Amino acid sequence: MKLSIREKKVTRSAGGDTIVFILLVIGGTFMALPMVYTISQAFKPMNELFIWPPRFFVRNPTMANFYDLFLLMEDSWVPITRYLFNTLVITAFGTCGHVLMASLAAYALAKHKFPGRGVYFNIIVFSLMFAWHVTAIPNYLIMSHIGWVDTYLAIVAPAWAMPLGLYLMKQFMEQIPNPLLEAARIDGAGEFKIFWSIVMPNVKPAWLTLIILSFQSMWGETGARFIYTEELKPLPYALNQIVSGGIARAGTGAAVTVLMMLIPIIIFIINQSKVVQTMGSAGIDK
Amino acid sequence: MKNKLFRISFQRRKIIAGYLFCLPFLIGFALFFFYSFMQTLIFSFNELQLTPIGYELTFVGWSNYSYALNVHPSFPMDLAAEIGNLAVNVPLILAFSFFTAIILNQKFFGRLLARVIFFLPVILGAGIIFRLEQTDMITQLSLGAAKPGLVFSGTALQNLLLSTRLPEQFLQFIIDAVERIPLIVRASGIQILIFLAGLQSIPSSVYEAADVEGATAWESFWLITFPMLSPLILTAVVYTIIDSFTSADNELVSMIRSTAFTSQGFGVSTAMAVLYFIVIAAVLGLVLQVVSKWVYYQE
Repeated sequence: MKLSIREKKVTRSAGGDTIVFILLVIGGTFMALPMVYTISQAFKPMNELFIWPPRFFVRNPTMANFYDLFLLMEDSWVPITRYLFNTLVITAFGTCGHVLMASLAAYALAKHKFPGRGVYFNIIVFSLMFAWHVTAIPNYLIMSHIGWVDTYLAIVAPAWAMPLGLYLMKQFMEQIPNPLLEAARIDGAGEFKIFWSIVMPNVKPAWLTLIILSFQSMWGETGARFIYTEELKPLPYALNQIVSGGIARAGTGAAVTVLMMLIPIIIFIINQSKVVQTMGSAGIDK
Repeated sequence: MKNKLFRISFQRRKIIAGYLFCLPFLIGFALFFFYSFMQTLIFSFNELQLTPIGYELTFVGWSNYSYALNVHPSFPMDLAAEIGNLAVNVPLILAFSFFTAIILNQKFFGRLLARVIFFLPVILGAGIIFRLEQTDMITQLSLGAAKPGLVFSGTALQNLLLSTRLPEQFLQFIIDAVERIPLIVRASGIQILIFLAGLQSIPSSVYEAADVEGATAWESFWLITFPMLSPLILTAVVYTIIDSFTSADNELVSMIRSTAFTSQGFGVSTAMAVLYFIVIAAVLGLVLQVVSKWVYYQE
């Protein structure tokens, strides 16, 4: 009920709505075209793939590309399910760990005053600016020093400490009014209890966003820098290998792209529909 | 007296809790970011030579830096161009993502679909799919023909604009801006999400209260939505700057990376990286200073 009142406030007049809708359609077209093209490419038979001038839409859709892809997968030396398993492990642990650790640290930085807090936060803002490509070599040296090269940890552990998530969570947690936390403290809630049952539910949109962000980067991880054992390599690496077979694999490549896109899109849809459901109940009604 | 003692211990407990909450992150951070950075800094003052058992460093002072700034053919110019580009793109990206997020937060038919569409560039532009598209020659070739941007940047629009006989600089500006549209739209996915999450965090009771007091939609936008989102505008600014400075397809980053494996050596590459870092830090520091003044934090 609350929700509907709020929506009514922000909505514009009918004329404004039309303009907004037109703008949305124009902007959306820009974004949707490359994907529509990739999908239609995946269903093109061989003779349509190489036609010149290229056609945007497929004329005679076929599943041949997907069929070829599965044949290729069956032939691979390590079963494809193993690659999939690796990617799932890396993505799940990387994402959960990152969200949890970033939130814990963000809570302390946003709502606790302790000596060194300012310095700590400034260091994190500074480290945001350092491209990981540039520190790749020192990073490798560290990994080999602790003996994590060729393990999942080499990919998962650095993801936990990514500064961007911390920054995002801190900005959201600062919005939570202090009296709410004080009230919980007076009622005898411990710090972790406050964090888990008051702070986190109130910043649900924030960590749902962070999950998308983190999932997105972990899902595409090829692990090429740290993982050398074939059995431990993630899925994107294997699919990359299939596609790099050259021009004859153009159709298979498009099929791979569609499959790789599908999962993040599904995650995004589930995620965003969760946000909508919780909006009404998450209010900080004081 | 007793009361005071209790307060100290309570404060201290809060301090300890603060450190404990930060600890897991801090360890990972020190290990994977801070140490790497220090190592890079050390490398930039040395010449690195690979030996069979590892590597050897010879101290060379500032020579790597002077090479990057004075001898390298394009580094200083590229750096300047990068900053100029950023100054134009960041405000445009922010404005676009801010208003898109406000539209996407309203209730209308097909909202979820619209959100998915606006998030697509992030999925398409990230990691594996980006690379897959690059390896696929045919897709590349034909994508060039089907690129949505070309619809606007094509000659049709330019001819139309030129026929209006407006001043040439003005036309050039419009054509430039239009050519940037696809780029800006594609770089806004995450910012839209950040703003959306921010909009959803504003408690509806605030709007109700404003409604009861008789505030108009216009007023509640500027007096509620805008101030409540202001910390996230800062976040989005920071994200946009970082994203464009450190993304994998940034030309400067790939130049720094490839320099490491050319005759100029790893030392020059790390020196460039440190210089680049200092420039980003300066830009970001300046922006933070300016934007922070307008940020409203709820007490």
